[in-house]
Amino acid sequence: MKFRDAVEFSLASLRKRRLRTFLTASGVMIGIGALVSMISFGTGMQKNVTEAFKASDLFNTLMVMPGGPDVPSHDPDQPGRSVPSGGRRDAVLDDTAVSEIARIPGVRLAYPDVNFPALIGLGEKEEFRLVQVVPAAIAASGALKMGWGKAYSSDDEEGVVVSQSLLRRLGKVEPGAAVGQKLRITSVSIDLGKLASIDLAAVFSGQGFPVATESYDFPILGVTETTAFGGGPSPVQNEVLIPPGTARRIKRLPMTSIWDLFRMRSGRLGYSTVSVKLESLRDLERVKSRVGDMGYTTFALADQFEQVTKGFYFMDMVLAAVGMIAIVVAALGIVNTMVMSILERYREIGVMKAVGAGDGDVKRIFFFESAAIGLLGGAGGCVLGWAVSLVINRIVNFYTARQGMPYIDFFAFPVWIFAGALGFALLVSLVSGIYPARRAARVDPVVALRHD
Amino acid sequence: MMNNPPIIQIRSIAKTYIIGRVRVAALEDVTLSVGEGRFVAISGSSGSGKSTLLNLLGGLDTPSAGTIEVAGALISAMDRNTLARYRRHQVGMIFQSFNLIPSRTALENVELPLIFSNVDKKERKHRAVELLEKVGLSHRGGHRPMELSGGEQQRVAVARALANNPRLLLADEPTGNLDSHTAKEIVGLLAELNRSRNLTVVLVSHEEGLVREYAQEVVRLRDGRVVGMESWA
Repeated sequence: MKFRDAVEFSLASLRKRRLRTFLTASGVMIGIGALVSMISFGTGMQKNVTEAFKASDLFNTLMVMPGGPDVPSHDPDQPGRSVPSGGRRDAVLDDTAVSEIARIPGVRLAYPDVNFPALIGLGEKEEFRLVQVVPAAIAASGALKMGWGKAYSSDDEEGVVVSQSLLRRLGKVEPGAAVGQKLRITSVSIDLGKLASIDLAAVFSGQGFPVATESYDFPILGVTETTAFGGGPSPVQNEVLIPPGTARRIKRLPMTSIWDLFRMRSGRLGYSTVSVKLESLRDLERVKSRVGDMGYTTFALADQFEQVTKGFYFMDMVLAAVGMIAIVVAALGIVNTMVMSILERYREIGVMKAVGAGDGDVKRIFFFESAAIGLLGGAGGCVLGWAVSLVINRIVNFYTARQGMPYIDFFAFPVWIFAGALGFALLVSLVSGIYPARRAARVDPVVALRHD
Repeated sequence: MMNNPPIIQIRSIAKTYIIGRVRVAALEDVTLSVGEGRFVAISGSSGSGKSTLLNLLGGLDTPSAGTIEVAGALISAMDRNTLARYRRHQVGMIFQSFNLIPSRTALENVELPLIFSNVDKKERKHRAVELLEKVGLSHRGGHRPMELSGGEQQRVAVARALANNPRLLLADEPTGNLDSHTAKEIVGLLAELNRSRNLTVVLVSHEEGLVREYAQEVVRLRDGRVVGMESWA
C-alpha cells in the first residue's frame, strides 16, 4: 500500500465520522493549547527579564565590596539579603581604592554606590527615600530610561533625576509638568551645637540625639520611565538620583546604617559597594580576579543570571507538567476513539484482509488516522493557545495600566513553540495509536467476515 | 476425473477449533485436488465444513494438520505476510453477504484490492471501470452498495475479486441471499469467467440444480469429511 493511499484512506474514514473526529481532536487541542500558552508564558517572562538585564547594562557590571563578614542589607526593598563575604578584613573601599580599580584594564568606569536616606518633598507631599549618588557618566548612559526631560550632564550640575513612580506618590500624575520644578531634599546630620551639651545618659535611653535636619531645593532635570522589570539588583534602582559633586554639598551622616559603624573600627569607613562597568563581558573574569587580589569581594550579575535562567527553566517545567495532564487525558481520548473505530469497522478490516491487505497495511491505516487526529488537534491547539494568551495579556495589561505599569507582553511566541507543539501532538497521537493499530492488525479475517 | 494439471493439492488436512473447552473438528482428513481451469462445486449441509475448507483455500486461515498447495506454493506453511500476498495476487473471493464496504462506491470497492497491491491511482480507476463493464455494471460505478440490488452488489463483489487477475476464484454460497433468477445469473457469470479466462472456480453451494447446470464436478462433504466426488464434464 502506497503512503499516499494510506493517508487518503485514513482521512476518508475520519471524514466519515466528523463529529467524533472533531471531539477527539478537541481534546488534543485543549491539551496542546494549555501547553502552548503555558510555555509561551514562561518564555515571555524569561525574555522580558533578559531584555531588562541587557537594557540596563547589568551584564557588564561588577559589584565590588570590602572584605569581611556578611553585612545584612540595608536596602528597605530587600530585607534579609546579605552581601557575600570574602576578601581581606582590612581592605577598605575608599577613593584611592576606587581610582585604583578604575585603572585596571578593561574597566570603563568605577564609582562608589553612595546613597543616603532623605525626606523627599514636592509641594505639600513628602516621602522617605534613599537618594542615590550616581555619576553623570552613568546617568547619561542608556541604563536610565528617560521619559521626560534629560539626565544631568556633569557631576556638579545643580539638579536631580526622579522616577515616574515617585512623582506619582508625590501627587504628580503628569511627569512632563514636573520637569523644572523644585524637589526638596531634607537630610539628617549631627547638630554640632548640641554636641557640647550632650547628656549621654539620655542618649543611651534613646532620647536627646544631637540630630539636625537641613533642606535643599534642586530642580528636577528629568523623569525616568517606570520599567516593568526594572527592579532587581540594579545600581540605578532608586528613585532620586543626584550627581556626586552636588551631593557633596548636602550635609548628612557618612553612613546609611548602624552596620557601617562596625566597619569603622579601623578608623576608615570606605564605601560599602563600588560599581564597576566593564568594557565588555569578556573582561569579567580577569577584572574579577584582579579586584579579588586587592582583597575585595566581587559579585557579578552575569554569574547570577545563570541562576535566574535556571529558575525560569524550573518554572517552564512546572508549567509544562500542568499542560501534560491535559495531554495525557487527550491521549486516552485518542486511544478510546481508535478502539471504538476498530470495533465499528471490524468487518471492514476483515474485508480489507480478504482482498489482500497485510497486517502492516491495516496497522498503517489506523496509525495514520491517529496521527491525523493529533495533527489536527495540534494545529488547533496552537491557534487556541495563542488566542487565549492574547486575551489574558489584554486583560492583565488592562489592569496593570490602571496602576501605572507600562504595557508588557507576558507571552512570547517564537516559532519553535508552534513547531514543537505540532511535533509533540504528532508524537502523542502516534504513541496513542500504537495499541489500536496493533489490535486492528491482529483482527482474524475469518471471524471478522462472519461478524455482523 | 480431470485432464488438467492440478492447481490445488490438498493432502489429508484437518481443522479443529477450540470453542470454550470443547474441541470441534471442522475438517478431518480431507484430501482432494482441483485441475487448473476447472469449475468445482463443494456441497454439503450446514456445518459440514465447506466454508472452512474455502477459507483455508483462500488463505484466510491455516489448517491444523496436513498441507495445501496452490499453484505450486505451500500455503499451509506461509507466515501472515506471505499469506496476505497470496490473497492479494492468487485468489479472489466472494461471499454470501457480498462484504462490500458500505461507505465506498461500487467503483471504489473494486479498486480496493489494487490499493493494496500498489497500483497507481489512474491505472486503478481504469481497471476498475473495465471490470465493472465486464460484470455489466458500468453505469452503476458511482453508487454505494446500499443503492444497489443484491444481484448488483454480488456483481461488484465479483469484479472486485477479479481486480488483481487471480488464478483462483472462491465463492462461498454467493447465491444464498439472492432470488433464484439472480442466483442463476451470478453462477452463470462465474461459469462464463471460468471459460473465457481459464479461471479455476471453487463454488460452495447446496443448490443442486445450479451445481448440476454450471459446475463440472462436485465434492460432497459431511461432518468434515469428503463423502463423495462426482465429475461430469
